[in-house]
Amino acid sequence: MNTFQFHSTKNIQLAKDIFSANENAKFLSGGMTLLPSMKHGLIQPNHLIDLSKIPELQVLEESNEFLIIGAATKHDTVATHPLVESAIPSLAYLASQIGDPQVRMRGTIGGSLANNDPAADYPAAALALKAQIVTDRRVIAADEFFTGFYSTALEEGEVISQIKLSKPIKSAYVKFKQAASGYALAGVFIALYANQEVRVAVTGVASGVFRWEEAEQAFLGSQSKPDLQRDDVISDLHAPSAYRINIAQVLFKKAAQQIKNNS
Amino acid sequence: MNAPEALLRKEDLRLITGQGKFTSDWYYDGMCHAYMIRSPYAHGVIKSISYEDVLKAPGVVRVITAQDVSQAGMKSLPTGVTIQNADGQNQTLAPMPVLATDKVRFVGQPIAMVIADTYEHAKQAAELVQMDVDMLDAVTDYDSALASQAPQLHEQAKGNLSIHFTKGDEAATEKAFEQATFVSSMCVKSQRLIGSPMELRSVVGKYDPQTDRYIIHTPNQGMLGMLGALEHITGIPKAQIDVQTQDVGGSFGIRGGAFSENALVLLASKLIGKPVKWVATRSEVFLSDWHGRGLELNGFIALDQSGKILGLRFENKADLGAYTCYFGSFIGARNIVITMNGVYDIPALSVSSELYFTNTVPVSAYRGAGRPDIAYAIERLIDHAAYEHNFDPIELRRKNFIKPSQFPYDNRIGSVYDSGEFDKLLDRALEVSDYKNFEGRRQQALQNNRLRGIGLAYFIEASGAGTAPKDQVIGQFTAQGVLQMFAVTGASGQGHETSFSQIVHEKIGLQSDQIEYIAGQADKMMVGSGTGGSRTLYGVGSAVFNLCEQIQEKSKPLAAQLMGVPQDQLQFTQGSWHAGNQSLSILQIVQKTFVPGQPHPLDVTGEASSGATYPNGCHIAEVEIDPETGVTEIIQYVAVDDVGVAISPALVQGQIHGGIVQGIGQVFYEQAIYDETGQLLTGSFMDYAMPKAGCLPLIKTEKIEVITKNNILGSKGVGESGCSGSLPTLSNAVINALRPRGITELDMPYTPAKVWQALQSN
Amino acid sequence: MQLTINGQIKDLAVQDNMLLIEVIRDQLQLTGTHNGCDTTQCGCCTVLMDQVAVKSCTILARQAEGSSIQTIEGLAGSQLHPVQEAFSQEHGLQCGYCTPGMIMSTVYLLQRYPNPTDDQIKEGLAGNICRCTGYVNIIKAVQSAAKKIQEAKV
Repeated sequence: MNTFQFHSTKNIQLAKDIFSANENAKFLSGGMTLLPSMKHGLIQPNHLIDLSKIPELQVLEESNEFLIIGAATKHDTVATHPLVESAIPSLAYLASQIGDPQVRMRGTIGGSLANNDPAADYPAAALALKAQIVTDRRVIAADEFFTGFYSTALEEGEVISQIKLSKPIKSAYVKFKQAASGYALAGVFIALYANQEVRVAVTGVASGVFRWEEAEQAFLGSQSKPDLQRDDVISDLHAPSAYRINIAQVLFKKAAQQIKNNS
Repeated sequence: MNAPEALLRKEDLRLITGQGKFTSDWYYDGMCHAYMIRSPYAHGVIKSISYEDVLKAPGVVRVITAQDVSQAGMKSLPTGVTIQNADGQNQTLAPMPVLATDKVRFVGQPIAMVIADTYEHAKQAAELVQMDVDMLDAVTDYDSALASQAPQLHEQAKGNLSIHFTKGDEAATEKAFEQATFVSSMCVKSQRLIGSPMELRSVVGKYDPQTDRYIIHTPNQGMLGMLGALEHITGIPKAQIDVQTQDVGGSFGIRGGAFSENALVLLASKLIGKPVKWVATRSEVFLSDWHGRGLELNGFIALDQSGKILGLRFENKADLGAYTCYFGSFIGARNIVITMNGVYDIPALSVSSELYFTNTVPVSAYRGAGRPDIAYAIERLIDHAAYEHNFDPIELRRKNFIKPSQFPYDNRIGSVYDSGEFDKLLDRALEVSDYKNFEGRRQQALQNNRLRGIGLAYFIEASGAGTAPKDQVIGQFTAQGVLQMFAVTGASGQGHETSFSQIVHEKIGLQSDQIEYIAGQADKMMVGSGTGGSRTLYGVGSAVFNLCEQIQEKSKPLAAQLMGVPQDQLQFTQGSWHAGNQSLSILQIVQKTFVPGQPHPLDVTGEASSGATYPNGCHIAEVEIDPETGVTEIIQYVAVDDVGVAISPALVQGQIHGGIVQGIGQVFYEQAIYDETGQLLTGSFMDYAMPKAGCLPLIKTEKIEVITKNNILGSKGVGESGCSGSLPTLSNAVINALRPRGITELDMPYTPAKVWQALQSN
Repeated sequence: MQLTINGQIKDLAVQDNMLLIEVIRDQLQLTGTHNGCDTTQCGCCTVLMDQVAVKSCTILARQAEGSSIQTIEGLAGSQLHPVQEAFSQEHGLQCGYCTPGMIMSTVYLLQRYPNPTDDQIKEGLAGNICRCTGYVNIIKAVQSAAKKIQEAKV
């Protein structure tokens, strides 16, 4: 890897100050995405600012409406913590399907959301669960947060501190893994709220996570095979777009079935 | 620490405690680090290269360039056996240069080696190279390579063809097809694979100017093969090179010979006067370890009214990659030919094989090296013929099996099968897999919306006769009575140390901790073949057996003397000589007759010449396909294998497991994919799917020993059988599951997307 | 910086861009931990960091500051660890290159699931690739180790 300076702090303001004071700085959370990119020379920051010791980023609590997860919370924690398992069990399941056991001991929800890999799992959860992404300077709604291929609404130097997820009445996540990487070839998250509010978020299929409106209609109307019409459905060496669409439909059906079974 | 007897293999103790020594575990004071500059282009003419900025970069000691290679008088990498047609026509060779000179012909081709004080410095410096390359169009498959206006990789190879090889009796085969009642054909592809042993390819080299000798640490499959290749390339006499390798992290045929980096590290260590270490990254391994397979096999079978096979013809295509390296040509012209009839008695055989060049990584041996591929092709073909012409696929096979009374069976296209009881193994496999009740299970699966299929294959393969006229093992006793055995080849996971100790223990009673197997000591001047073609157990093992016979024989007069009895009163049982109520073990005899400063009277060299052997087996697999997703679940896998006498049953089973799962990899997951510009799209484990623990079905293995007389032990090879069995078994199962939906032809890998798409089109 | 390795506190001079695996192998000369890929997938580099299994190829040395690392070399005491024993006895290793990582992952897996099902084992080893054994005997080794550990507690 290129030469860089490593900074670690327990204070979010200090982290931001270090970022502003230095050229070409990047925040480091679990490092499961950033470090491999640096090893390949794709990203070459001169400063890395470690966020893992900042207490506000480690919270895990709930309110009446929300499950609140600190940005530096590890996947394994989300996968196994009793609070998550009782508040949003499908989220615990989602986290348990990320990467592998060793990766889950390091990777974090904040890192995943800030990166916005089109095949990552957390973006689907955030979008379906009406996430409010709390940063050092504002709160961004999930609907505004994901802006495209590996891009988010975060500004330069903006740090996610917590993610507030609206506790649904019921939810389910089903994932179809790409056999080599373990990322989602497709992943569908359904969240059901009061007053017939349903949100279906899809990852792995297109240039970024999206809400699948036809599926939301289908869920309410008890149809089983919603159309998926987008012009950015991925076609790559692992699967043509027709297959991804098919899998999304199959996963939707399974997720919808899971929710109905839990009634 | 626990006593060694608690462990299964002698080599285990160091490996489970982190005390193994793989190549990158060697460190020397003052060692420099190397990083390779490789071609980012698939095909092009090098107009100029400047290392000016590289040399100025921090920490850089030197850059080894094509000029250095030329000045050192290096030759190209060995091309392996030159294939020749019956009419004497030789294949057109295209040897790979150590470093590219005028042209680059595949992405990843070595261009230069940067040496620096740290790996990081070498890597960063390498990025500063300035290359001016006139890019040419690339060809990456048969159709594009042999197209009429295709760009030519090598001037000497017209139409990018190395040879159009033919063998067999074309006339008789043509006649057989004319007379046939039924004819079937099936074209199958065995896709290009990347072998991916877990140890990254690496070389550590050290030159001693005082003695003008080199030490080299590198993965290999036998010291002599590595030495031979190094001598060929560099011109350095074998006697001046010491290959010191303790542990090898998997090889599978890939790392038998020297790569460019081996020669370059030796050269570099001399030029800079310091030890040099080069370790590949996994991405580099994808682009520079020889690739595997890359074959297309188009089979035609002719049957008479009753289903007797009258003739078999194959038209094959073998992708050599950009150069003729080591084993590639052998695979396309010999290995997919000599057992093309499988286990069937076929009077007329004919084959043609086009070996061609593409702008891709050169192809060489990978577990089975053509034999799994031809087993795959013939077993797919026979299943297809059975279904096309309404024969029962089991009975069609039985009808054509070579019968025990027919051995030795000369198939007249390169093999003389010595032994086999195909009906017996088939029967056992059918029983264990509960084959006869499959239809009920298929119906049940349909209820759950699953397509269930059962696949059977009977495979045979030729295990290597080896490249040396014989194998030798030198035995030397230490004062404490430890038998040290020196031989050419070391293991890359097969457990040779343990198997050979087993042979010694059973023959002359020495305990495991009294036996050491030491591979690859150059000063011992031995003859022998390296590991390859699944032959080491019986090849070297036979020499070990012979060693023990000699020790036993020579110990008799010593025993007589020590016990004060005439020789004819002595009986040998359980590792000891007995006379009346006296007895002496070999160990005791050794200890009592040891004279310091002199070779021990029981120091002998064991030798054996072992011919090829023909391991074979019947594997049956059951799968279930979810038509909604195309995902295949392997419900059960049954393997019944004939490996002759199994010296170490647990190790035999381990080899079969490993081969089966590598087969699962090829059947369901793996493929090296190039785009049409010659870029490797599957460049890492993120895109090249390796089987992991979760892919495992229930595997049942059994063995039936049919002893071979081709070596003293009666053993047949086993290292590659798992692959030869699993490719046809699993693909026949998948096709069996899909056949009711009208799908009869589909190539590996059966990824979910591929299977689903096939189902949509039907 | 300081970290504890196999029970010993070490003061190390590290550069910020050094990976934990580099410190372990190159500085501390503990070469049992292996590098097998560059995409954080193969698991040959697995060590225990504060008792959890992590991939040392994707952790900066600085991130490990103050932590307690256990490598394969630190697993056996005066006797082999039951996991080590089991791997050998069940023939769960052939070439041995993936083995240290596989063993460390197993130690962690058995901490979490003392009586794992085959599925839990397969999930638990999803981050470790083996090319030689075909995994059959690895799974047996983990089951055997689980039993050994349970029996030792009695």
